[in-house]
Amino acid sequence: MKVPLLSLLCLITSVATAAPQRVLSLNLCTDQLLMVLLPPQRIVSITWLSRTEGDPALLKLAQQLPVNHGSPEEVLAARPDLVLAGKYTTASTRALLQQVGIPVLEVDSAADWEGIRRITLQVAAALGAQSKARELLADMDADLAQLAHERPVQPIRVIGWGGSAEDVPGRDTLFNTILESAGGVNLAALDNGARSFDLEQVLLADPQVVMRGAAYSGKPSLRNSVATHPVLREKLGAHMIAYPEAVYGCGVPRASQLARELATTLRSASGP
Amino acid sequence: MKGKYTVSLWLAGGLLLLALLSMLTGRSGFMTPGDLTGALQGDSRAAELTRLILVELRLPRTVLACLVGAALGLSGAVLQGLTRNPLADPGLLGVSAGAALGAVIALYTGIGMLFALAVPMLGLLGALAAATLTLSLGSGGGTLVLILAGAAVSGLMLAGTALVLNMAPNPYAAYEITHWMLGSLADRGWDQVWLTAPFILVGAALLLGTGRALDALSLGEQQAASLGVDLSRLRRRVLVGTALAIGAATAVSGTIGFIGLVAPHLVRPLTGHQPARVLWPSAMCGALLLLLADVLTRLLPLDRELNLGVLTGLVGTPFFIALVLRLKRVAP
Repeated sequence: MKVPLLSLLCLITSVATAAPQRVLSLNLCTDQLLMVLLPPQRIVSITWLSRTEGDPALLKLAQQLPVNHGSPEEVLAARPDLVLAGKYTTASTRALLQQVGIPVLEVDSAADWEGIRRITLQVAAALGAQSKARELLADMDADLAQLAHERPVQPIRVIGWGGSAEDVPGRDTLFNTILESAGGVNLAALDNGARSFDLEQVLLADPQVVMRGAAYSGKPSLRNSVATHPVLREKLGAHMIAYPEAVYGCGVPRASQLARELATTLRSASGP
Repeated sequence: MKGKYTVSLWLAGGLLLLALLSMLTGRSGFMTPGDLTGALQGDSRAAELTRLILVELRLPRTVLACLVGAALGLSGAVLQGLTRNPLADPGLLGVSAGAALGAVIALYTGIGMLFALAVPMLGLLGALAAATLTLSLGSGGGTLVLILAGAAVSGLMLAGTALVLNMAPNPYAAYEITHWMLGSLADRGWDQVWLTAPFILVGAALLLGTGRALDALSLGEQQAASLGVDLSRLRRRVLVGTALAIGAATAVSGTIGFIGLVAPHLVRPLTGHQPARVLWPSAMCGALLLLLADVLTRLLPLDRELNLGVLTGLVGTPFFIALVLRLKRVAP
């Protein structure tokens, strides 16, 4: 009996030492996974975007962590044990890092709850943070169960714009997953792909709520101009809500909390 | 060659018909003239909605298409007259790119948020700077030098725009502006009309007043001077007029190419080549072309509305190539 116990102990120690101690992220969404899965001292740096456009709940932490701008030089200088990258992180950076022997984990973007479960477990396995991941996913499942319980009989009719009328996210997006879990339906969405949906179409669709993506850092933006159109203000002013677009694009377990917050907002904004 | 007013009358008739079509056309489908009169008389909720769509969305869009198109057509005709160059146009001379740079500076430095007039005013300043630069670099050097000066100034203005986007604090800036530069009149309202119409109208008035001087100039610079035309004053007037009209037009619609180039060429066979007789018809033809393009963007069955600049570029480029080929044949 002694021998297997000893080998198990060795195995645990080797897993613990194998877990990367210094991890760097090159993508806004992997930033969020990294910040919730690992303690700050094991994070080398996250992307600069997370300081302004990241998850509001993680902003304070993001502002305390070092940031990178995605250049290979920054990564090479930092010498991390592992780099988390998105699917669209430049191929040349990834190739260079592989060349010098820095492991890169390419993380897919997730557009539904199953996808979120999959990538969270994938990243957690690479970081050696499985128990934290299970905890987060259990919270996510609890949120989803609660949302399913509260779901209105008739979905709330929503027009969901990305930043502006020129960009309506399709049904195959995380935005739509969050919206539908929150009890809404996007009247403007196509089955796949984005489309434009102008003010005239919005008025004719007669929505209960208009949701508009916004960069909440409050920097000057052209996208705000359509939201200030007098017709929209007059007809739907009280029923317009803004959501942080960058956060709704990241498939991480916290998306279920966003869905719960949205469900509450939709209920109050869809009223008379 | 038709009588002096016949061409203008035909163009005005066409413009009226297209304006009516523009009022009846939306991306969600056509309205019949019956719907239109019903909406103006009825007091049901549907009638109120239709009225709102007609008065607050389609009418300002139609008015803006006419104003912007006229500004482009007219300034194209005047620039072609002033430079005695058939390829002159606000786009090719870098004026549109200058206006875009001014507008982008206003939009992304936050100046545009301080007061609404900032965007057209900076657009105007950008257009003025670009026009001054192109005309001073390219004057007296013939067709080729002017076009090269225009290309150089366009390049400079685009580089400036890229610089502003590079430094913009908003991470979506590049995406937004790339889209904006493709030109569009979608979802514009009366606010934009009131903001830009005065600039465009004053600019157009200045440009329309250059007819006689341009006629004299068509005989040659010395002949024009001997006929009493103050050339530097004419040049200043064209500069300010173009900057006012194109600066304000670009600030509201984004960059729209080729209308200024094509409109004068389309009307010349009907009006004759005397510059003064081309001005009014070019303005109306420009309005007609842009209105037509804008109606087409709404009619094409695409998930994403096609941008105006894309459409005018697709149609205008072959025309430009044909002009270049003709110039090649004619040139010694």
